[in-house]
Amino acid sequence: MSKVLEIRNLTHTYSGNSTTKRDAVSNITFSVDGGEILGIIGHTGSGKSTLVQHLNGLLKPTKGTVLFEEKDIWLEPKKIRHIRSKVGLVFQYPEYQLFEETVYMDIAYGPKNMGLSGDELRVRVEEICKLLGIDEDYFEKSPFDLSGGEKRRVAIAGVMAMRPKVLILDEPIAGLDPKGRADVIKMIESYNKAYNATVIIISHNMEDMAVLADKLIVMNKGALAMFGKTDEVFLKADLLRQIGLNVPIVTRVMAALKKKGIDVPDNIFTVDDAVKCLCSIKKGGGKDA
Amino acid sequence: MLKDITFGQYYRCNSIIHRLDPRIKILLLIVVFIFIFLAQGFAGLLVMTLFITIIILLTKVPIKLFLKNLKSILPIIIFTTLINLFYSKDGIVLFEIWKLKLTTGGVERAVFLALRIILLIIVGSVLTYTTTPNDLTDAIERLLSPLKFIGLKRFVHVLAMMMTIALRFIPTLIEETEKIMNAQKARGANLEEGNIFERIKALIPILIPLLISSVRHAYELAEAMECRCYNGGEGRVRMKKLRLHISDYLSCVVCLIFSSSVVVFNILI
Repeated sequence: MSKVLEIRNLTHTYSGNSTTKRDAVSNITFSVDGGEILGIIGHTGSGKSTLVQHLNGLLKPTKGTVLFEEKDIWLEPKKIRHIRSKVGLVFQYPEYQLFEETVYMDIAYGPKNMGLSGDELRVRVEEICKLLGIDEDYFEKSPFDLSGGEKRRVAIAGVMAMRPKVLILDEPIAGLDPKGRADVIKMIESYNKAYNATVIIISHNMEDMAVLADKLIVMNKGALAMFGKTDEVFLKADLLRQIGLNVPIVTRVMAALKKKGIDVPDNIFTVDDAVKCLCSIKKGGGKDA
Repeated sequence: MLKDITFGQYYRCNSIIHRLDPRIKILLLIVVFIFIFLAQGFAGLLVMTLFITIIILLTKVPIKLFLKNLKSILPIIIFTTLINLFYSKDGIVLFEIWKLKLTTGGVERAVFLALRIILLIIVGSVLTYTTTPNDLTDAIERLLSPLKFIGLKRFVHVLAMMMTIALRFIPTLIEETEKIMNAQKARGANLEEGNIFERIKALIPILIPLLISSVRHAYELAEAMECRCYNGGEGRVRMKKLRLHISDYLSCVVCLIFSSSVVVFNILI
């Protein structure tokens, strides 16, 4: 696998007078490979959103470079719009950006801006809707008549329709009910698999991160606190707590069980794994679990 | 970007002018406006210039800021000056091009009117630089309160409340606009290129979500206000009562002395 996106020594300073001047993110270096799912976790105000806005050229780094497929995205500032169709960014509460008369037209807005038209455009929209399970009955509905969860899915589909190689989602499941969350997570997984696309997710939800993410970035006060495989990061529970974050609930349950003398491994981060592990203990050792 | 737009240009510092009662400031502003217009000769206008210069120095606001305000209306000043230069036919003819005659009377008149506009703008900015938007709306509500005697009590309160809410939401809406712009840019919106029609069309994806979110804000705010038993101005009291101090009375006296000297000069000269 090759590096799709590489960030080198990125620093962003918000301009202002000398008193308000501060580094929103400082000296960040990491890279993501094709097809990978990368999670970004961190406190509110730790610089997560500022960081991802650099990846598609909405913000220009004060220092450092962003490389997409090994080319500096700011090499030709006039062509920065092309980057935005290759690195798709879904903002927080994307349903507030819907504006067209029909669901179909709203999803087609992104691809249309890329210069698609006619049959090509229609095929593109229909394909993404099929993949994401958005029924064709919805096409002629007004996006404003949909429920909150449906609006969110249409808005995310609008970015996915541009078929970006890297898809970034800022808190995609915030404020949704359990069904809505499951739907959105399924969408992200199907997109990742269907196009072997790289996905970067910002989230506060450790449980979802444990299920979805291959790798994790932990941000703290604008700096990169940790970067590694998801289980490696979650094994450093103390460090996470120092930053004010935590490990998934199920991992905390397992830690509590261990304290009580039940022999369980440390690296259980998802409910599925926990069930498997506990069942095997019950069968094997006969201890109550 | 958008955040750089300062609204209400309040300049935070602590000067005598800042501490004056906002009601007095508004009333005195009106008085000064009237007397700037009443001045018929240079003598009267120069008295007002002196008065305003003293005020500016008292506000402790950097002169640069006043000049910045003047810069924005520079085209208007230049335009009126040019028209008036050739309008008057009094005095000695300085020179003549084609049908245009430049006379001393014309020059005098042009300078006089330009000075008048400059003074008006500067006095206006003194008020906005030294009074917070909230104080201004408060003062307007109090100044309009006599209207309640002709059955417009609710109107006065509603007007003031609307102004307060409008001012309160300007930063919120600016922030929201920026967010929506970024979201549409991420979907490939092209806001920087194209001819005027294309640019106007490109604004639709920003204006519609903005409009919808403003309506949403309005509903939410109305509900929140009702939950806190808001029922109009009825029985409402204020935390900060406006009270007149000696400095307020004093400023009235000073202002009237300068203003009346304008009348004296008008009669004498």
